[in-house]
Amino acid sequence: MTDVMALARERTQLFRDVIDGNIPKRVPIFVSFSIEFAIQYAGKNLMEAQWDTGQLEEIFDQICRDFYSDLLPVNAFRFPSFYRLLGARNFVMSSNGFLQHPEVEGLLQEEYDDFIASPYNCIIEKILPRIYTELDTDASTKALALAKAFKAFHDEMGTAIMIYGRLNQKYGYGDVNFFAGFTEAPFDFISDQLRGFKGISTDIRRVPDKVEAAVEAATPLMIKAGMQPFPSKYNATFIPLHMAPFMRTKDFERFYWPTFKKLVEALAEAGHPSNLFVEHDWMRYLDYLYELPENTIMRFEYGDPKLVKEKLGKKHIIAGFYPVSLLKTGTKQQCIDKAKELLDILAPGGRYYFDFDKVPITLDSVNVENARAVLEYVAANANY
Amino acid sequence: MKDLGKKERLLIRLVEQLDEENVVKLADELLNDGMDPLYLLDLVNEGMNRVGKLYECKDYYIADLIMAGLIFKQVLELDKMTTHFYVKHNNKIGKVLLGTVKGDIHDIGKDIFRGMLEANGFEVIDLGVDVPKELFLKKYEEYKPDILGLSGVLTNTVDTMKEVVDAFVEAGVRDKVKIIVGGNHLTEEICKFIGADNFANDASVGVKVCKEWMNGIKEQGVIDNG
Repeated sequence: MTDVMALARERTQLFRDVIDGNIPKRVPIFVSFSIEFAIQYAGKNLMEAQWDTGQLEEIFDQICRDFYSDLLPVNAFRFPSFYRLLGARNFVMSSNGFLQHPEVEGLLQEEYDDFIASPYNCIIEKILPRIYTELDTDASTKALALAKAFKAFHDEMGTAIMIYGRLNQKYGYGDVNFFAGFTEAPFDFISDQLRGFKGISTDIRRVPDKVEAAVEAATPLMIKAGMQPFPSKYNATFIPLHMAPFMRTKDFERFYWPTFKKLVEALAEAGHPSNLFVEHDWMRYLDYLYELPENTIMRFEYGDPKLVKEKLGKKHIIAGFYPVSLLKTGTKQQCIDKAKELLDILAPGGRYYFDFDKVPITLDSVNVENARAVLEYVAANANY
Repeated sequence: MKDLGKKERLLIRLVEQLDEENVVKLADELLNDGMDPLYLLDLVNEGMNRVGKLYECKDYYIADLIMAGLIFKQVLELDKMTTHFYVKHNNKIGKVLLGTVKGDIHDIGKDIFRGMLEANGFEVIDLGVDVPKELFLKKYEEYKPDILGLSGVLTNTVDTMKEVVDAFVEAGVRDKVKIIVGGNHLTEEICKFIGADNFANDASVGVKVCKEWMNGIKEQGVIDNG
């Protein structure tokens, strides 16, 4: 067995131990960098490289070479080609080449009943043409636009997946995948794609019964979306969480939690663990998170790591908390001290892997030297 | 706010409960019964203060503030209110030039901030999203605002915000305007790094800062708002 294969086995074992509830040899590290960060780090043009995905192997390779991680530290899945072919309004590029999600309204408030009656038909007939301008046309032109976009999507994803495979082999990354599927909490789906942040915030007061019925109607679709091709306890479906911290607890209990819990439970029952990005401040919801199926992966952006470890650390898998902003403003020593502090709190008892609180999105959002130093510190010192 | 009648107290409570339909109905009724629009505004403001308090003690969240802003706007748009305030709308407490900085196209935080500023009597010039530093500077020259508000969601906006502040320094107008930066990722150190006068992670804090600045400016009489 080659050294790289041995390394991959060792790294796979670190994560399997975390998932199996055993104490691994060392705290595993899984950080990721955005495609924008990677392109800038490689000194390439942001616009060009996102369109010409053939360049990505060389670009991602530099991240793998220079930043320690036990799993592949790059993962891009939103490419401008297919969004542009669709005339997308929900993912657009800003003037500096940064693809972003603006506020969209795919469903009008007066159309809730249509969605509730048949979410799938409503998405096809009303919502897609509104979000994707190229689909707002006659049936045959629409079919062609959709075919082109899907061709682009499969081409881009095919290229990306091949690149990931080669980098996994070259660098000996562990064989677990926390992004093996993707879905959203039903309430977040309704908010992000259908009604917008402002729209949903007023809907829960103006038409609460309809919102409740709509999230329920969306749940089977969200479950289906989150299913992976093969069940495995070592692969997870990624669910980035969004709206809950911005809502009253009372509203969360009624509109957000029941269907979200149903989603995670249904995925778990089918053999797919969930990997949650717990965005913003969820500290008042920790008791709810505890109720989710055992071994749900939770990467925290914010909050009290001690409390999280105490309340959730024996049942779930915790990650995150390391403030990317410190990598920008702190000295190298301050950055390493912060890592030590978090390891002391989160590592005991296992069920923890090291990650930042959020993905560094552009080169200038961190001091690269600090980021490297922290990762190397954890890799060398976080032994059990 | 002493000796309030039953309906006045009800209006304040309805605002506090964010009962949109009944606030608008009752406000309209009170105006038609001859209530002074300014007095009505005081009552609604009192309700809004209570909403603010509920927000501070975490009974209300952003979603509720959005609703509050909407209710406020609807009250201001009632016929009797617009006719009254069109006549004397020049008593704004300050002028704010606002925009999301270049590279970032998020507008929710900026829009909430704008709504709350307007509800608090500020005149706001909103330059939209993805705004280059040159445009901030040009519009500054045109409008001479008291305050410049830079918004951003993406963490890389730190450098972009700094570039805007630097552009104001270079143009020699940095000391003529207060600068506030807003975004969830901002901290005191980052604010210093950017060179802004203050920062806010939250729209209501931002409005408070702006109000305090305007009070300070009025006391010193440095800037003439008239």
